[in-house]
Amino acid sequence: MSFLLKPFRFIGQMIVDGISSVGELCCILWFTLREMPNVHKNGNLVIKQMVSIGVSSVPLLFVTSIFTGMVATVQASFQFRGLVADKWVGTAACKMILIELGPLLTALVLAGRVGSALAAEIASMREKEELAAYEVLGLDPYRYLALPRFVAFFTMVPCLTVISNCLAIFGGWIVAVLALDISTYTFYSGMQYLFDPMDLFSGIIKSFVFGVTIFLLGWFHGTNAAPGARGVGLATKDVVVSSCLMILILDLAVAAIIFQ
Amino acid sequence: MPNVKINPNDVMIKLCGLQKCFGSQTVLADINLDIRRGETMVIIGQSGGGKSVILKHMIGLLQPDAGKVIVDGVTISTPKSFDARTIRKKMGMLFQGGALFDSMDTGENIAFALREHHPELSEKEVQQVVTEKLNLINLVPEFRTKMPSELSGGMRKRVALARAIALSPEILLYDEPTTGLDPITSDVINDLILDMQSKLGVTSVVVTHDMVSAFKVADRIAMLYKGRIIEVGSVDEIKNTTNPFVKQFITGKRKINAEGQN
Repeated sequence: MSFLLKPFRFIGQMIVDGISSVGELCCILWFTLREMPNVHKNGNLVIKQMVSIGVSSVPLLFVTSIFTGMVATVQASFQFRGLVADKWVGTAACKMILIELGPLLTALVLAGRVGSALAAEIASMREKEELAAYEVLGLDPYRYLALPRFVAFFTMVPCLTVISNCLAIFGGWIVAVLALDISTYTFYSGMQYLFDPMDLFSGIIKSFVFGVTIFLLGWFHGTNAAPGARGVGLATKDVVVSSCLMILILDLAVAAIIFQ
Repeated sequence: MPNVKINPNDVMIKLCGLQKCFGSQTVLADINLDIRRGETMVIIGQSGGGKSVILKHMIGLLQPDAGKVIVDGVTISTPKSFDARTIRKKMGMLFQGGALFDSMDTGENIAFALREHHPELSEKEVQQVVTEKLNLINLVPEFRTKMPSELSGGMRKRVALARAIALSPEILLYDEPTTGLDPITSDVINDLILDMQSKLGVTSVVVTHDMVSAFKVADRIAMLYKGRIIEVGSVDEIKNTTNPFVKQFITGKRKINAEGQN
């Protein structure tokens, strides 16, 4: 009989673990936000994290965004060639980049680059008892470690999304002019045509949500990492997988709310 | 052995019926122990026996499943029964690996908690305290600019000790202070533990399985075995014990014979 119950036990355990994880994520968010009034006292820590999360990610985003913009423009041109006028290539590329590609690819790149780094750093600090040392010294790790990272993720992901949008459009324009025989005027008039400011804002709103998601999952997997080097490795992998998954799910959810 | 006057009735840390399980494994079955103000209590026992778990209960990092932890008259065994920040300012802890903050240099490690708990101190005063604490652990002030990664194991523990005493605690907890160190560096750490008691008058709890260290620094020794304190006594009492398990442990014999004698 017990082997028949095994799948139900497994599913039940997964549901319990899922609920428990959601509860813990809510606690992390609450404990971090609770320290928000002290953010000005840790200005140097916040700036340090902003540089580490934001400024240091620009070179990687530079490459990914330009190529994404190029690919989006080339695909728009190939798919619509002969069907619609050239100016629609600019319209399609701009819409794709601002609404989806910019925010989504920025978030996915950051989940891989800084989300994994956050989980590895916190897991390593936990392993070396640095987190316990904060508590023993009467210092709240949420104030000194979580809050600066939260603020950095919350502010830097939207900033990087805007930079990524600009770079992707620049990449699209380069490929349009140099490879697709579309003039600068045609490309940019196409971009302006059907442009809705909500396209831009929806992407930025999403990026705030993505920033918080990457932080929460990075902290969660870091603080719950199993002991040893393997634990750090697993935490890093888990944060990338879960962040990418959550970013895609939340992308759909936020889009559904904004564009309904 | 240290030579400090200790009042046997003045209890600083009291553990009453402490129990702790991790999953199905019972780590602490029933711990009863009084630690007197100003004494150095050494807790000995096998690796993985729960010695560090006892220390973590004393500082409120772990909550017991049952029983009480009373520190200086305050019960800290339930999460909301004490102000963690206040009670932890009275306590310092030396972690097994030092647990120095890797992103900060030595001086910053020592000064960090000081700046946060005493914002009224000027930077000059903070640096004075850092120098004073480095002097206490016999390190020259030039060490303040070294990063933890540049320090040897022994140095890391000394800096961690300086950090632990930065807030002038009344209680110092040492988790395996000599583990992984050569005998000479271990002796340096032992001397520092004695110095802390004589110069600062702190109550110390040392968790170790290094018997040379235990015999040197202890006022009293408690033996942890299968989740219980099976014997507490002075160094001489422990050395002359008739308890077969304690005798086996302090002599480092693998087996005890049927009569319980080595």
